[in-house]
Amino acid sequence: MTLIVSAAPPAERGSFAVPAVLTDIAYGLSLPLVLLLAWESSARFGWLPQQILPAPQVVWATLVELWSDGSLVDHTLQSLKRVAIGFGVGALIGLVSGAALGLLPRVRAFVWPVFSAIAQVNMLAWLPLLVLFIGIDEELKYVSIAWAAAIPVILATTRAITDVSPKLLELGRVLDFTPLQRVSSIVLPAALPSLFTGIREGLASAWQNMVIVELFASFEGLGYLMVWGRQLFQLEIVIAAMIVIAAIGLALNASLEYLERFVQPWKTEADRER
Amino acid sequence: MNQISHASTFQTAPPALQIRGLDKSFIVAGRALKVLEDIDLSIRSGEFVTIVGASGCGKSTLLRLILGLDLDYQGDVLVDGARVQRPGLDRSIVFQDHRLLPWLNVEANVAAALRRSPLSRAQKRETVREHLELVGLTSFAHAYPAQLSGGMAQRVAIARALVNRPRFLLLDEPLGALDALTRLRLQDELKRIVEHEKTTALLVTHDVDEAVHLGHRIVVMQPHPGRIATVLAISEAARQDRSSREFIALRDEVLRLLGVDAGTGAGTRSAGAPETFEKRGQQERQDA
Repeated sequence: MTLIVSAAPPAERGSFAVPAVLTDIAYGLSLPLVLLLAWESSARFGWLPQQILPAPQVVWATLVELWSDGSLVDHTLQSLKRVAIGFGVGALIGLVSGAALGLLPRVRAFVWPVFSAIAQVNMLAWLPLLVLFIGIDEELKYVSIAWAAAIPVILATTRAITDVSPKLLELGRVLDFTPLQRVSSIVLPAALPSLFTGIREGLASAWQNMVIVELFASFEGLGYLMVWGRQLFQLEIVIAAMIVIAAIGLALNASLEYLERFVQPWKTEADRER
Repeated sequence: MNQISHASTFQTAPPALQIRGLDKSFIVAGRALKVLEDIDLSIRSGEFVTIVGASGCGKSTLLRLILGLDLDYQGDVLVDGARVQRPGLDRSIVFQDHRLLPWLNVEANVAAALRRSPLSRAQKRETVREHLELVGLTSFAHAYPAQLSGGMAQRVAIARALVNRPRFLLLDEPLGALDALTRLRLQDELKRIVEHEKTTALLVTHDVDEAVHLGHRIVVMQPHPGRIATVLAISEAARQDRSSREFIALRDEVLRLLGVDAGTGAGTRSAGAPETFEKRGQQERQDA
């Protein structure tokens, strides 16, 4: 996505602000359109059997049908609820423990090696153990999604804080800031960009792992919808669910990107200058 | 010209800042590396003292010790006879990099220095406004640092350093990163501002012209380990006019003390051109 955006010739940007945006959109849409065309041709000329790759119209009809009977909304809401709770808890735990790791070198010395080892093992690999401890009910979804969200948030928060420029921290000492003032006026704003990256990665990870854990054990949700479609060998349902998952994932990421710009006015102001 | 270390104007006042028998070492790769040796320096209230010396002579380290950022040294750093224990608002610094907080606009950056000040909210607003006016940036109060030129950012840093009306203004090569024209302009402005605020100033630089133009006294330091070679008084005639015979003579003397042969080129050099004698590559700088 970003690659395509930056491919727009710089000379045209600024002088024709609106057309440049349209060009970006045109570039961005061209690849999906080509793929859609290929998919359509495949269906029309029978390159792949319908059972393996259903035609776009079939998928679209399935989407409409799932939407109108309300089941798509139910499954989506169920998945969103799991991600909201899991990500909320995971991000909070991640921010707090990341802050502790970043701000307190002693805590970091004790915990970091163990944490790094745990972070190496994908959440999926923990699932069998988690099932033994907490069963396969809702708690499993919440815990594993929270887990998946917390790991990138912890990593990014710790790094964001330890990467704060020592020169700015020295300024805080010269200005005789209290520890609280140092955190609120220097560490937090300096760490904010990396912190946001971590939160975005956490949300993406939560969303992806929601699908995994729902595929693994559930009776509702978008992941379950995919399992169900596969079992019926109705791949149009699987593809429809994938499209919804991708669309919501993109929307979640975009809204966080917007929020990120919103809370860092100094960045946008400075960018506008260029 | 060669009267040493007696600035007549300040003879009567007691020293406000006194450095006695100061030794400072860093541990580098397991070995003690001496960066300052036997520094003795007294600065009186209202005096503008400049320090010149090549890289590695511990100029910046000296300022850090005066600020109280580093207490690990032998000897004394005394303000009004009391040992410096920690950083305080009575001593402020302008670094070579402006070190403004990118997330605060100009006004808020200056106001940031007042976080620990006992002034009321209204008084703080007033003194911030006054100091922005002093550095001529009133109309940029709401700009962010990324929108400022290097010279403007450094003016904000100067305003921030002065907003608490500190007793001591420490300047660590504050104009070193600026282009030559901006630097000349800011030198005069700095001189005016320091005189206006009646602050005691200590400027570290490797620009000999700057040191002669701004100071009442000039401290010449030698590197490895950093020590004071000599302290020279700067006459009013030399301070006032960069083309005066006194200025050029003093500048050449300082350059000679620093081991730079100034005699041959001195006549043809324009008075304002900064003399730098950075011995790059000899040793990594021990800054900050």
